[in-house]
This record gives sequence, C-alpha cells and structure tokens, in this order.
Amino acid sequence: MTGTLSRRALVRSGLASLVAAPWAGRWGSVAVPGRGGGWGAQDEPIVLGTSAAFSGPSRALGTELYRGAWAFFSHLNENGGVNGRPIALRLYDDGYQPDPCVENTIRLIRDPAVFLLFGYVGTPTVTRVLPLLKKFRDERVYLFFPFTGAEPQREPPYGEFAFNLRASYRQETAGLVDNLVRIGRRRIAVFYQNDAYGRSGWAGVREALARHGATIVGEATYTRGTQFGASMRRQVEILGARQPDAVICIGAYAACAAFARDAVDLGLHIPVANVSFVGSENLLGLLQKGREDPNSHTRFLVNSQVVPSYEDTSLAGVREYHELMAVHNPSPPEDVERISPGEPYEPLAQSFVSLEGFLNARLIAEIIRRMGDAPSRSRLEEAVFAVRDYDLGIGERVSFGPDRRQGMQRVHYTVVEGDRFVPLRDWGQRFG
Amino acid sequence: MRKVKVHKLFRKTRFFFFALFGLIVLSVSLLSIVTVSRELSDEYESNSRAIAENIANSSVDILLNRNLATLQSLIDQFVEVQSIRYIYITSDTGEYLAHTFVPGIPDAILASDPFSTETVQRSLPGLGDFVEVGSPILSGAAGTVHVGMDLELLGLKIQRAIGQQLALLGIIFVIGSLLTFWFVNMAARPLADLLVFAAKVAGGARPGEDEPIAMRDDEAGELARLFLHVARRGGGGSRE
Repeated sequence: MTGTLSRRALVRSGLASLVAAPWAGRWGSVAVPGRGGGWGAQDEPIVLGTSAAFSGPSRALGTELYRGAWAFFSHLNENGGVNGRPIALRLYDDGYQPDPCVENTIRLIRDPAVFLLFGYVGTPTVTRVLPLLKKFRDERVYLFFPFTGAEPQREPPYGEFAFNLRASYRQETAGLVDNLVRIGRRRIAVFYQNDAYGRSGWAGVREALARHGATIVGEATYTRGTQFGASMRRQVEILGARQPDAVICIGAYAACAAFARDAVDLGLHIPVANVSFVGSENLLGLLQKGREDPNSHTRFLVNSQVVPSYEDTSLAGVREYHELMAVHNPSPPEDVERISPGEPYEPLAQSFVSLEGFLNARLIAEIIRRMGDAPSRSRLEEAVFAVRDYDLGIGERVSFGPDRRQGMQRVHYTVVEGDRFVPLRDWGQRFG
Repeated sequence: MRKVKVHKLFRKTRFFFFALFGLIVLSVSLLSIVTVSRELSDEYESNSRAIAENIANSSVDILLNRNLATLQSLIDQFVEVQSIRYIYITSDTGEYLAHTFVPGIPDAILASDPFSTETVQRSLPGLGDFVEVGSPILSGAAGTVHVGMDLELLGLKIQRAIGQQLALLGIIFVIGSLLTFWFVNMAARPLADLLVFAAKVAGGARPGEDEPIAMRDDEAGELARLFLHVARRGGGGSRE
C-alpha cells in the first residue's frame, strides 16, 4: 500500500525545519509503510512524530529537547541521512498538558507517514499516552526516549511500548536521598508538582528514605503550570514547620525557582534539590536575573542530571554536541501551532536538556541505521535490543534488552558556580 | 348606558382566589425546595460514591503494582469532573499515597480516620465546605479512596433548580391572578348593567324590552325583564 501527503500538509505539521536539507525538493510526497516490507519509499524521509511543550511555562523543555535533537538530525541529513534517507520530525505542541498530548498522539498514530514517536516531554502527558499505545498495539507504535524518568513507561503494563534512554526519577531521587543521608541530612521534605510527575518523584523519595529507615518529614504541592511570579510562601511555611534538613523538589523550572527564591527569602537555608526534568539553566536564569548578588538564591541548589555536564568537553559526545549546536544552532520550531502563544523563546547555547535531546537523536538514528534499507516497525524492537554497550561518547555505554528498556543508568549531581551548573564533587564540603 | 363597576360583591371572591393561588404557590414552593434539595443532595452523594467506587475498582492493580504516578494520573482525571474538589487515597496502613491538595493536605483531613468510608461533611479552612464519601479498595485491604464534593456548588445547583421552579410558579401565579381578575370582571359586567337598568326603571324611565340587558338569555336578562314587568304592573295596571 502506498499513498501520499501533500507538501502543504507536511509543512503545516512541522517539517519546515528541514529546509536546509538536500531532500527539500522531495517532500511533495511521503510514502507510507509497506513497500518491500520496509517503511516508506527509499528516497523519502523517515518521519518521527513528537508531541511536546512548545508553549506555556514549560516550553523551554520541549524547545531545548527539540533543538538538541535537531542539531544532530541536521548534521545527519546533510551527510546523507540514515541509509540514504533523511530524518524528519512532525511536531505538535501540547503545552505540557495531557489532553492535547493525547489528541496529538492519536493524530500521529493515524498519520501513515509517522514511523515512531520520539522526544515526548513530561510525565502527566506520557502517562496518559501510554494506554493509547496499548490500544494501537497492532500498529506497533513505539515511544522512544521520552523526557521523563517516571516509572509507568518502564514497567508493566505499558513498559513494552516505550524505550527510555535516561535514568529514572527513582534512580535520581534515590541518589539524592542517599547522598543527603550520607552527610547527615535525614529529615527530608518534598515539594512537588501535584500530578503524575510529582507523585513519581515523591514515590522515589519515599522508597529511598524507607531503605534508610526514614520517612518524608513534610510535603507541599503546587499546581502544574504555576509561573515564577507566583508566591510559594505557604509551601515554604508548611515545609519549614517540619524543620527539614533538605527539600527535594519534583517540579518544572518556573515553580521550583519560585520555591527556591521564597525559601531563601523566608530563611529556609537548607539544600534544595531538583531532578533533571526541572530544566537547570532555565531555573538558574530565573533565580539570577536582575539580582545584585546573582548567587544569593542559588547557593543551596543541587540538581541531579541524567546526562553529564555539557561543560565536560573531555567527553567526545559532549564535544560533538558543542560543535553541532554551534554549527546548526537550531531555532525554536516555527511552524508548530502553539496552544498558548507567548513571548518568543530565547534559545540557550547549551543546556542539559538539549544535550539529552542530542543523545536521544544520536541513538535513534543508530537504531534506524541498524535496520538497513528497509526499516519497519515490526523489526524496531529487535533493533533496539541489539544495542549493547553502545558508546555515545559520554562515558557510559548504552545497552538494551528484553528486560532492560532503559539505556542509561547513571545520575550526575551539579551545583551552581557563578552562572552555571557544575559537577558536585564533594557533598560533605558543600552541604555537610 | 352608564358604566357601573361592581366592587364590593366580588372583593371576597377575588381575595379568596388570590389567597388560594398564593397558598398553592407557597406550598408547592416549599415542597419543591425540600424535594429538590433532598434529591440533588442524594444524587450528589450517590455520584460521589460511584466515583469513589470507580476509582477504588480501577486502582487495585495500580496499587498492587505500586505505580503511584499512574494512580495520581487516574485521580487527576476524575478531579476534572465538575463539583469534585478533592480526592485522596490512603493505604492499608493509613499513609496518604496520592491526593489532589495544593499546597498540602489540610490538617482536618490529616487528623481524620483514613479508613473511614462514612459520608461526612467537612469544612476545610481556605477551601470551603465539602461532603466526603469513601470507598474501600479490595475491602480495605489495599486502601481507601476518599472523594470530596463541593457543597457550595451543590448549594448553587439547588438554588438554581429551586429558582427555576419558583420562577415558573411565579409566572403561573401572575397569569392565574390576571385571568381570575378578568373572569370575575366579566362575570360582574351583566350585574353592573342590571344595576344600571334597575336604577333607570326605579327612576321612572320605561326602557323597552329591546334594551341589551333585557335581551340576554341568562339570569341577568330574566331579572331585567322581571324588573320591567314589575315596573309596568306598578305603573297603574292600565295595560291589564
């Protein structure tokens, strides 16, 4: 079965970022699965479908993840693509809201050109999409490398429909708890986004503390979508009343920055930890912008990361990331219909989020490459499981298998020095 | 013919009709307030209980798999339903596993029995008044679901429903009163004409039998003809 989509339809739905590619003239049609058992015609792009936050308070996450991925795909496409075929992205904005994400995913699944789902952002969105993947299980639609460390896409009954690259929130929170307990900070409170993401992190902290014979001493929540301008006084008061030794935040950058600001302003001078999803650079930008002492509100921050520091250019993968980000410097996607149009987004030169997007893109390209000239959904799982000890150039080798649907396991810890997050070498010296 | 209004004779009739209508409207209103209020409250509670049971049934596997993110996602979907204001799930040990409170779980709830499934009314400072129902998960072996419905919203719903009924009754009352007034006036008009006719006869005038009132075929017409007959007889009997 072969069919076509019009150029206009493709451009409208987000393929415009491929303008510089030598295949630009061939977009008039995109073949659909079936020819020779592979996906699409040999000279057509391989289309990856994405629903992510390109608007709203978490737009930096979706945008930076896309930029990192697109830096690699641009380079790849300029150099012949994967087995001679370019990679294209079909982008939809969900504003980090579950319902639009579900609608976008249905559109992407029903779109005959889309080969797989790639680079989704967020737990509340992804957890709502997982049942869809089960519903359309006969279509063999897989979700690759979502930007979330939650458990639902790593465990039954939905784990079989997703592949993860990054470490989980359970691993991130366990690392944070273990290190804090090791330096004598056992009274740990949690500040979290009141949704599936926050609950996932809360559960991770609870589980990690239980291994040390402790419990969460206090908890406070905020509503998803809260802006930096909002007051977190009540949340600081609720947690402060429990006299914690540290607070672990499971949230997005705007609300977590607001909490860190108000915690310092109200005299809660204890380590405030964030997990990787927070978007460290955006958090830092909000906390330092316009302050006389830019470090006044960042001294107590410690953020866990699932990729190494982008400052660590001793790593080949990081050097390549720097190089390709500098060469291609992808703009935020322009042809995506945004749910809540706001001010234009100012991209970051480098960030942990875009580095993660870059690594996601490198790995998915490698997986598709391994399927040869006739990539097909039915062979995707096999191709992923064949990835063993693959070197992404970041000091950790990636492996997958039937019982291992998460490629990387390592968690890195960073603190603020000057205007950037740098690796934390000694917990005791910093927070002991 | 001069117009005469008959007021005194029908004053009581009108008053009676107004009073009767008023009584009907008042009693129907009271009945509807009680009925609507009770039925909506019952429906509210039964909906809350159905939702709590639904969550309890859906969350068994999720809880047994310790998948709290999915559990949170599940209750977040329900809390988007109009009038549900909060949901929380407690474990078999009474731990709060998932909830929808911001900025935190209220003290009144933390102090309450986490295993209770009784319907209770709660007043939570800063949040409002709620009716809370509970439903056990796996007969309580896996935990308990608690659903809080907004009483203020329920009150608004009841007010709206009663308001609509009262508005309808008010319209019926006004139309009924106007119609009563109109019918009584219509019934009184022949009597007024008869009064004018009788006064004319008593004044010595000798109206003919072709007067409109004397031509009526009802009691007023008969009385008019009788007055005319008596007046003619009393006038000397020359005609006899």
